[in-house]
Amino acid sequence: MTELIIFAALISLGFFVGQYLEKRHYASIQMREKQLINLVTTTSKTPVGDVGEISHCTLVSGNAVISIDYFKRIVAGLRAIFGGTVRSYETLIDRSRREAILRLKESCPEAAQIINLRIETSSVFKGKKNDVGSVEVLAYGTAVYIK
Amino acid sequence: MIITNTEEIPGKTITTCLGVVSGSTVRAKHAGRDIMAGLKNIVGGELKGYTELLSEARDQAMDRLQAQAQQLGANAIVNVRFSTSSVAAGASEIYIYGTAVIVE
Amino acid sequence: MKYRPSLPEQNDNVSHEHPLREFFVLLAGLCVIGAIIYVILGLFIDAAVDHISPETEQRWFKKTSINAAIAQMIDEDKKAESFESELFDSLKACANIDYPINLWRVESNAINAVALPGGDIIVFSGLLDKLKSENGLAFVLGHELGHFKHRDHLKGLGRGIVLTVISSALTGSDSSLTALVSPVSMLGQANYSQSRESAADIFALEILNCHYGHVGGATEFFESILNEHKDVWELAHYFSSHPEVEKRIENMSHESNTRGFVDAKTITLTK
Repeated sequence: MTELIIFAALISLGFFVGQYLEKRHYASIQMREKQLINLVTTTSKTPVGDVGEISHCTLVSGNAVISIDYFKRIVAGLRAIFGGTVRSYETLIDRSRREAILRLKESCPEAAQIINLRIETSSVFKGKKNDVGSVEVLAYGTAVYIK
Repeated sequence: MIITNTEEIPGKTITTCLGVVSGSTVRAKHAGRDIMAGLKNIVGGELKGYTELLSEARDQAMDRLQAQAQQLGANAIVNVRFSTSSVAAGASEIYIYGTAVIVE
Repeated sequence: MKYRPSLPEQNDNVSHEHPLREFFVLLAGLCVIGAIIYVILGLFIDAAVDHISPETEQRWFKKTSINAAIAQMIDEDKKAESFESELFDSLKACANIDYPINLWRVESNAINAVALPGGDIIVFSGLLDKLKSENGLAFVLGHELGHFKHRDHLKGLGRGIVLTVISSALTGSDSSLTALVSPVSMLGQANYSQSRESAADIFALEILNCHYGHVGGATEFFESILNEHKDVWELAHYFSSHPEVEKRIENMSHESNTRGFVDAKTITLTK
């Protein structure tokens, strides 16, 4: 009985607070993406177009570790029984990647371009019995500065 | 839509670069498939269920990547990279990213 | 090559379905699948248990189950002792059970008695203190004998194992999911054992009638519980494996009437 009450409390807390925080995070991501839209980012090894005289290049990176709420974890567990697209993890992945790329851009606002962008994902926290609920995304690339 | 993992597309000229686009998905197989894969692990060999899972996941992620590129008005994606990680036991997570471009 | 900054309007990497919808659809699916497997396997267990003879049962469970149960139920400084009683032997004869069943008396405040696989009945001293008449005790013993007669102790054990296996197979390694499934499965289990308890109550009535020629004192145990727990938490009986006490008393008096059992004076219990 107590177990059930604790569970219900956790799941509703996870659902309402989790939804709210996710909405807020997405709003912030969208706003910052618009602000940084003019910083050229590419996966190519060469700069886009004619940049002019390059003063220096440096390795830049940004990372983010994001976790999903209890509610989504339960839904993902249920989904694993039936198979199919695990929707609860989609936003987790999407948010952490966009956040990592944004942090990468924010770390070098003076750069003219970021080239050779690479993205790595790993699960940092493995709870008991592979109960994974959080991912770490590392975005790295080369910032090109011009004179 | 032309998709390559090279910098340039041979025989074409890239006119406009539109930025980085990505497609991602997390997929799982039903519990029965997981159990069968566990049994197959004893004798080794190809885990057909999981091969299918990963290719399904790649197809879905690729579709999403193309949908994102189309929204930007691109007709090609160059320098495409795949990355895979495990977010949950028995589920596969695929991430594809590349640079959306317009070619002539 | 020029650069045209652009952002996609719509996010294709996430599904736009409401998460609650997915949750309820999946949960309903899980419950249906679990219930189907449980019912089918439960029937298998019942059929299989009917084929296990009491001798086989004794061979399998003797010693291990009673020792484990006693070790779990009593504190270190309290004791468990085996005892014999003429009353019990006579009740057993009425129940038509010809294999040995041992009685254990365990020092505990619990007002309860338990039937264990292997042919053991544990009576807690708390129950003996509560009962005033011999008839009341005879009813409780008859109830436990009813479980043996119907092989409920084995069926309950089998179903318990099935339930554990199903829930761990479905939820796998995900510990948080088990928290979700266990209360649901507990409800199913409780529902099943409520029907077994009622059957054992009626069996105990028959034994009382056989031994004393009347069913006086049958409800003594329940009435004492009722007086004790007048303010018991309302929700509790939904989760309890024993049907609501009042319902059981009502059920028994109804059954006595239809079978023509009569009420009469009880005999005081000599301790």
